[in-house]
Amino acid sequence: MPKSLFIVVVGCGRLGSLLANGLSRQGHNVVVVDRREEAFAELSVEFSGFKVVGDAVESETLRKARAADADCIIAAAEEDNVNLMVAQVAKEVFGVKRVIARVAEPARELAYRQLNIETVSPTSLAGDHVLMSLARDQKENPS
Amino acid sequence: MPPLRQEQFLRQRYRAIAAYTGLIFFLLGFLMVAPLCALLAWPGEAGQAWWFLLPGGGLAALGAGLWRSLRPSEPAPLTTPEGAVIIILAWAAAMLVGAMPLMGAAGLNFTQAVFEATSGWTTTGLSVVDVTKVSHLVLLYRSTMQLAGGAGLAILMLAAFGGPLGVGLSTAEGRERQLVPHVRRSTRLVVSIYAGYSLAGLVALRLAGMDWFDAINHSFCAVSTGGFSTRPESIGYWNSPLVEAVIIALMILGNLNFLTSYALLKGRWRAVFRNGEVRLLAFLLPVGIVVLFTTATAAMFPSLGKSLRVAVFETITALTTTGYSTVGYKGFGAAATLVFILFMLIGGGICSTAGGIKQFRIYALWRALFWEFRRLLLPRSAVSRPEIWDGDNREPVDDASLRQIAVFVFLYLALFFIGSVLLTAYGFSLSDSLFEFASALGTVGLSVGVTSPTAPPMVLWAETFAMLLGRLEFLVVGIGLVKAVRDGRWLICKSGT
Repeated sequence: MPKSLFIVVVGCGRLGSLLANGLSRQGHNVVVVDRREEAFAELSVEFSGFKVVGDAVESETLRKARAADADCIIAAAEEDNVNLMVAQVAKEVFGVKRVIARVAEPARELAYRQLNIETVSPTSLAGDHVLMSLARDQKENPS
Repeated sequence: MPPLRQEQFLRQRYRAIAAYTGLIFFLLGFLMVAPLCALLAWPGEAGQAWWFLLPGGGLAALGAGLWRSLRPSEPAPLTTPEGAVIIILAWAAAMLVGAMPLMGAAGLNFTQAVFEATSGWTTTGLSVVDVTKVSHLVLLYRSTMQLAGGAGLAILMLAAFGGPLGVGLSTAEGRERQLVPHVRRSTRLVVSIYAGYSLAGLVALRLAGMDWFDAINHSFCAVSTGGFSTRPESIGYWNSPLVEAVIIALMILGNLNFLTSYALLKGRWRAVFRNGEVRLLAFLLPVGIVVLFTTATAAMFPSLGKSLRVAVFETITALTTTGYSTVGYKGFGAAATLVFILFMLIGGGICSTAGGIKQFRIYALWRALFWEFRRLLLPRSAVSRPEIWDGDNREPVDDASLRQIAVFVFLYLALFFIGSVLLTAYGFSLSDSLFEFASALGTVGLSVGVTSPTAPPMVLWAETFAMLLGRLEFLVVGIGLVKAVRDGRWLICKSGT
């Protein structure tokens, strides 16, 4: 088994639960945080980590999730602003080495980069994918 | 007609269930053969080895076969009902196959052997074996059962082999709380803490004056809050304050919730002292000791030291559901007997090796009493949020968990009274029946003499089921049986048409 990491996932929506389930399956220590307890219903039976109910914007919630010990924090909440704030707090206050934030709005990625936060944007990923596959079509059958 | 999807799904699930059950069988078989280590010191007992090798080896081979032929290509996640089916099969094998060495090597009949095996795996400690007559192999086997049963078969299996993903299996055996946020790592940590306690206890008991064999057996059975002894007089045989002190320490460590143990080892004192179970323990123990001392032991023993020692030891052995004793229980009087019964009903910490209703549930109900009062005094529109300290955090206690606790306590007490009625029907006195059945149901092991080789078979069977239900906390047995029967009927009906 590879060395296991301690990972905090903020937001247990579609992306957050997918990540939490997958990471737990791989054998990592996972803590998932969400404002609503009902959100944890998204987790599957393979998840064996801890669940913390609370607003991740409050640093008390992140302290409960033991963010200071985390190897990695993934901010996967619905709101871009929440993710930005969580990512910044994790980096500056808790000193987490690796912070990854989800951004819905691609235009904001630049701002994140200036703050030295790794981002992933489902919107631009999907957009790039469609653009690339269209371009490939054009190259293959030039009409 | 193509097979129905539900049928395919069930078959696939039950293949995984059978494979993981096989893995536990393998572990059980190994545990049954392990006491043969004693042959190194007593080679003269080799004649009995077959009674351990045949059932143990057979079970291990069956388990290995199931695992090899049915193992899922990648670890499969299990739900709690599926885990419950595995736990029931595993415990049935532990009770029935585990009884065979006792029938062969200790000369028990079937009823007695199943009783003794169940008393071992459930860490109860009630015994129908004459410990002066049986071999070292049998004595070590009884202690091994308690050591393994205290940790929990699911926990040992998860720690040793990895096993299925998710918390279905450990939840099904009543070990739903974790030390760290991953079930496999958590089980390994629990097993290492537990092994550390047993080893430390072993050395301490040796230093306190036991020989190695006694130290091994008593360390195993104290930390698992089991209570099997190698002497008919139990711990009273040594009559030594030092031995009693070590045993008391081990019993209290075994009775602590593993999370509390972990906090203690990590030096997080605040988390330990805020813990509700620790507070309840700190309240109950002195009360019990005072009642026992003033109403019974002060008058029973000539010296103050001896009567204090007995009061302390007996209170702790009852509350931690261990069942070691230093004296007999004749002449303790009504008040002391009542304290014993109450403490055996309350029992040890949740997610520990101890049994009983569990201190956490009692503490939660006790707090709920105050919340209920406060709610009546507050204005109708006020919103209150009951909380209990859990480690470093205040955790809210919602109505759903209080409801579960209430149902559990009701079931527990109902079973307690039904069982006691059964015992009185066999002619035992009311206080003896209540005492003995509380002892069996709470997996304690203290006895006023109802449990003996001459006890009627029905009494032994009733206690056997009480020990099993008490250890597995009822609901799992129900869930597992209902699921297995329902799915089995489904499969049989479908394949018949």
